[in-house]
Amino acid sequence: MACVYIPVQNSEEEVRVALDQLPRDASDILDILKAEQAPLDLWLIIAREYFKQGKLEQFRQILEEGSSPEIDEYYADVRYERIAILNALGAYYSYLGKIETKQREKEEHFILATQYYNKASRIDMHEPSTWVGKGQLLLAKGEIEQAFAAFKIVLDGDHDNVPALLGQACVQFNRGRYSDSLELYKRALQVYPDCPAAVRLGIGLCRYKLGQIDKARQAFQRVLQLDPENVEALVALAIMDLHTDEATGIRKGMLKMQRAFEIYPYCAMALNYLANHFFFTGQHFLVEQLTETALAVTNHGPTKSHSYYNLARSYHSKGDYEKAGLYYMASVKEINKPHEFVFPYYGLGQVQLKLGDLRSALSNFEKVLEVYPDNCDTMKVLGHIYVQLGQTEKAQDFMRKATKIDPRDAQAFLDLGELLILSDAAAALDALKTARILLKKGGQEVPIEVLNNLGVLHFERGEFELAQKTFREALGDGIWLTFIDGKEKSSPVDASASILQNKDVHLFQQLEKEGHLIELPWTKVTTLFNMARLLEQLHNTETANILYRLILFKYPDYVDAYLRLAAIAKSRSNIQLSIELVNDALKVNEKCPNALSMLGDLELKNDDWVKAKETFRAASEATEGKDSYATLSLGNWNYFAAVRNEKRAPKLEATHLEKAKELYTKVLAQHSANLYAANGAGVVFAEKGHFDVSKDIFTQVQEAASGSVFVQMPDVWINLAHVYFAQGNFSLAVKMYQNCLRKFFYNTDSQILLYLARTHYEAEQWQDCKKTLLRAIHLAPSNYTLRFDAGVVMQKFSASTLQKTKKAADEVRLTVTELGNAVRVFKQLSAASNLHFHGFDEKKIDTHVEYCKHLLDAARVHLKQAEHDEQQIRHKQEAIRQLALAEEARRKAEEQRKFQAERRMREDEQKRVKQQEEQFERIKEQWKSSTLGSKRRERSEVDDEEGGNSEKRRRKGGKRRKKDRSSKARYETEEDEGEIMDDQEEVEDENAKTNYAESRSQTNDQDDDAEEKASDPLAAAGLEDSDAEDEAAPGATISRRRRAWSESDEDDEQVERQPESSPIIEDSVDGEVRGSGGKQDGDGAVNDED
Amino acid sequence: MKLAGLKSVENAHDESVWAATWVPATDARSALLLTGSLDETVKLWKPDDLLLQRTNTGHCLGVASVAAHPSGHIAASSSLDSFVRVFDVDTNVTIATLEAPPSEVWQLRFDPKGTILAVAGGSSASVKLWDTATWNLVATLSIPRPEGPKPSDKSSSKKFVLSVAWSPDGRRVTCGSMDGTISVFDVARAKFLHHLEGHFMPVRTLAYSPTEPRLLFSASDDAHVNMYDAEGKTMVGAMSGHSSWVLSVDVSPDGAAIATGSSDRTVRLWDLSMRAAVQTMSNHTDQVWGVTFLPGGGGAGRLASVSDDKSISLYDYS
Repeated sequence: MACVYIPVQNSEEEVRVALDQLPRDASDILDILKAEQAPLDLWLIIAREYFKQGKLEQFRQILEEGSSPEIDEYYADVRYERIAILNALGAYYSYLGKIETKQREKEEHFILATQYYNKASRIDMHEPSTWVGKGQLLLAKGEIEQAFAAFKIVLDGDHDNVPALLGQACVQFNRGRYSDSLELYKRALQVYPDCPAAVRLGIGLCRYKLGQIDKARQAFQRVLQLDPENVEALVALAIMDLHTDEATGIRKGMLKMQRAFEIYPYCAMALNYLANHFFFTGQHFLVEQLTETALAVTNHGPTKSHSYYNLARSYHSKGDYEKAGLYYMASVKEINKPHEFVFPYYGLGQVQLKLGDLRSALSNFEKVLEVYPDNCDTMKVLGHIYVQLGQTEKAQDFMRKATKIDPRDAQAFLDLGELLILSDAAAALDALKTARILLKKGGQEVPIEVLNNLGVLHFERGEFELAQKTFREALGDGIWLTFIDGKEKSSPVDASASILQNKDVHLFQQLEKEGHLIELPWTKVTTLFNMARLLEQLHNTETANILYRLILFKYPDYVDAYLRLAAIAKSRSNIQLSIELVNDALKVNEKCPNALSMLGDLELKNDDWVKAKETFRAASEATEGKDSYATLSLGNWNYFAAVRNEKRAPKLEATHLEKAKELYTKVLAQHSANLYAANGAGVVFAEKGHFDVSKDIFTQVQEAASGSVFVQMPDVWINLAHVYFAQGNFSLAVKMYQNCLRKFFYNTDSQILLYLARTHYEAEQWQDCKKTLLRAIHLAPSNYTLRFDAGVVMQKFSASTLQKTKKAADEVRLTVTELGNAVRVFKQLSAASNLHFHGFDEKKIDTHVEYCKHLLDAARVHLKQAEHDEQQIRHKQEAIRQLALAEEARRKAEEQRKFQAERRMREDEQKRVKQQEEQFERIKEQWKSSTLGSKRRERSEVDDEEGGNSEKRRRKGGKRRKKDRSSKARYETEEDEGEIMDDQEEVEDENAKTNYAESRSQTNDQDDDAEEKASDPLAAAGLEDSDAEDEAAPGATISRRRRAWSESDEDDEQVERQPESSPIIEDSVDGEVRGSGGKQDGDGAVNDED
Repeated sequence: MKLAGLKSVENAHDESVWAATWVPATDARSALLLTGSLDETVKLWKPDDLLLQRTNTGHCLGVASVAAHPSGHIAASSSLDSFVRVFDVDTNVTIATLEAPPSEVWQLRFDPKGTILAVAGGSSASVKLWDTATWNLVATLSIPRPEGPKPSDKSSSKKFVLSVAWSPDGRRVTCGSMDGTISVFDVARAKFLHHLEGHFMPVRTLAYSPTEPRLLFSASDDAHVNMYDAEGKTMVGAMSGHSSWVLSVDVSPDGAAIATGSSDRTVRLWDLSMRAAVQTMSNHTDQVWGVTFLPGGGGAGRLASVSDDKSISLYDYS
């Protein structure tokens, strides 16, 4: 048993103090020590002994006494011991400070420790142990760099100062310089091979940190050899075992942990790991127990944070998000930097996400991402949060990154695809395709939602075949295939009862009777609906019809199917059935805004204005005014109300227009990109005469509307054309109308043809105008306004031709035919008016007939004249021709004569020569016989011949002269006649001029009229555009997507509806055209006055 | 079954071609294709090269429909000025000019025996029957007007009769109206029998199957072709696929296929056994107003189509 001997002062005696029997009250010992003035090292020894025995109070008492000023005075020259005492105190308080959890007391402890060390330093600046102590203190305070300096001072003095070496090693370890630390530990071990196992622990930790796992393990094992109960080494080894990630390793590790726990149940680290383990084995009760103990025994931040984390995790997995959140929060609080321990941030983020605190969750996940910038999961979570926060772009960025980092993560691609669906269909398509490929590669089944969305994307891009293939894949096998492939056709139904055809389920019942199983899983309904929608788009309406009915057969509450069926019926102008179907839909949900809107449209079609307005109101109310479609419809309603009346009431018109504008503006305020509202606003502007503004609007809308399968806005083309027309730019207007007709209506819209004709009319292109009207009549033979207009055009054409000063007979002839046609058309109309086929005034038509007849008579006169002229011209031409012929003949004869003369001359010459020769011969003979009579006879013969010739020539010349004279005379008479005719023409001209002047003034009227009329068509067109509805932004989830889809259906069906809404227009336009008729009528009347 | 293009004539007329029919062969010549156009002419073409035989004038305001007498000697045309002109095919001599004011004339067809010419009577809501020997009006088959105090202008304009067809036995006449109703008449008794419902938009052409006498096809603006049992009042089926109005329909001589012409600029061939379009010809660039099979079995199957794009096309049908 160890004893100390306190020498008794002034004697050789000593007081023996058995160290294990130190009195409980330290004052006893102190008294002895003081009384005997025992050397200070004894004080220290005794104090240390108390410390070892855990009697801290006594320890402190002795040391405090031992460092009191009296002692200082008394033992002034005993420097080392005094320092040692002070250092001991310093170390004690450092320790206290280190383990103290409360911040304030902790600081107090540190301050005390600092004071003691400073005091020690005052005794000897260079005492290494003081510096070591200071270094430890600084370490405890976390002031690593200063601690480093302190230890360095020691080590500079003494290379092998073990405590300093250890301290420095610790510093380096904390600085993360593990190899330096390792060196220091090694040196300490070399210098002092018997140092405690803890040194080897340090080595082990360094090696562990350096990744030299095996060496670390050796070190720890060595520690355990030296000190089998060394908890740290056990824990370290256990951790290493656990991290092997193998079942055996984990088991071994857990055993070690358990032992460590048995040896020392308060090692927080071990507790945490045990808790961790039990968390994974699902023993949440143990987890809580262990972590609570761990929390109680440690105040080491990271460890505590780990404990909290474990606890939080436990609650998290139990679904107690509130508590989990609290503990995560506590865990996070213990962490200085997210880098140290990032998991609680993740957990916290998750819990906050669950609890809906998106912003906090966001910041936590972002912290995680800082630490692990490539963590896919975090990115995906962040992406989702941004989606929910509405920051789609950021969300997309994260998703994109996630997919880049892990290009095999199908889920990430799916998410990305869904995100992109709204903003970038092409990219979404790519993403979803990749996801599909990945899923297939992985042998997983591709979810039907994905295929559905893929199909929809293809559909939207107009890739109908691909869409169909995808939908088919999504649908898989089922009864629907027989319908899609057309194997099963609807059975014959009574044609007179076929009005109910779209509603009957007869077919399916029969199939069931035949033993077919008709099943339709709910998950596939959406896709089936989309398939049907696609078939509709492909004009396979029959099959679409059956599919919708199939859906309704199984799910009679599927409103969208009713609406689509109604839309189909409507597009086939089966209004009654359509209304019935919409009412069915309303039975399911009486506030369904889509159904209400549609009902309103149908009522408008039935000319049920008041009802329609009510319905639109209801639709608008059902969505609390958020449904732009209903608002737009109301706007359109007002617009129509403004322009529908034949007799315009300016006041009423203005209020309606104002209201319409207000409603359009409202929609635009909600959805600034709503094309239909913009179009409507443009129409109102045009109506008010602000053509430049409206033109700008229309042009922009037109640009925006191009490029989507679903957005088809012919109205804006028409409106633009109207504006051109109103501004007098006829050629552009014509082009615009024609393009619109061709692009949207397959040239089948007689109304637009009417607009076109009207433009031709204003441009005075009568033939084009007539042809256009004839085309329109051919398309819509029962539209009598077209016939009337055709008559008017022919009349106008004729009148204008007759007014021309110069006209060819052909022209006049054409005029006569046209007038004949016009008379016939008007007469027919007149006859038809008896039967009330149309709304024209009989008298009006009769006036036209009269006028046309009048014109016809005039034209006939003209025709005679013209024909006469023509004949004369023909005569004249004939004469000229004859003249030319005669000239030719004369010339030929002349030539002939010349030729003959020459020949004769030559012959004469020859003759003469011959004669001379003969004569010569004769003379020769005369010379022989000598007779004169024969010679004279010969000469007379020659003379005779010459005379005949000359006379002939003379006669010919005379003839020519005569002819000249006569032709001249004829010219003169012609001139006379011409003059007479000119006179006639002048008379006519005057007539015409007055006519013209009057019609001119009228044209001005017409211009005004034209504007009005132009706006009328605008109105008409405006009506059609009603169908707007910016899709309510659908969310990323599939169900929402689906809804959006059906919304877009609605849209689109409304778009489709447009052409058919023209009947409604017609009713209102009727008036307009009639207006034009009236104007024409005025024309007729004026001419009648003539 | 298949269609193969044989020949197309661009600018066959100066304006849109609206009507086409085959004039049966006579002893003197082979069958001819007769076309009518907005340019107020009727032209005769000789297959298979579509050589222009003759251009007949004498029509006003565009030719809406043409029909040929089964004998092949005479033909008739109706124009927008509401006249029917009957003329000799080979000489263009006008045989008769028919009108029944105040009604319009639209589609016309000779009965299979050639004794009667049926003319769709437009707003008179009737079909007029003309005796082909005397050219007298022999009967007016009126669609019964819906009950009501007085016919509103709306309903009457909707009953405007556009199309007409004879059953192969000549006992029935059916007509199609603007409102989509199809009415069946008994010719002998000049009596209205019943309606065939299913369309709600103008029915522009009707065609009976030459092989199944009760089977009637209707082409309508609702983009559908409906199949009816005209006697049994039942709708046998409907075929959709055109993306715009179906303007004309004709049944192949073998009764196995129909051809349709549509505003969507295509000519489609439908297999009746599959009730599906088997071929789509898109050589026209505008609405196809008329399709017509060369009647009579045996020999080469021929289909002609005419269009707003002023062209006519001839196909081989096999």
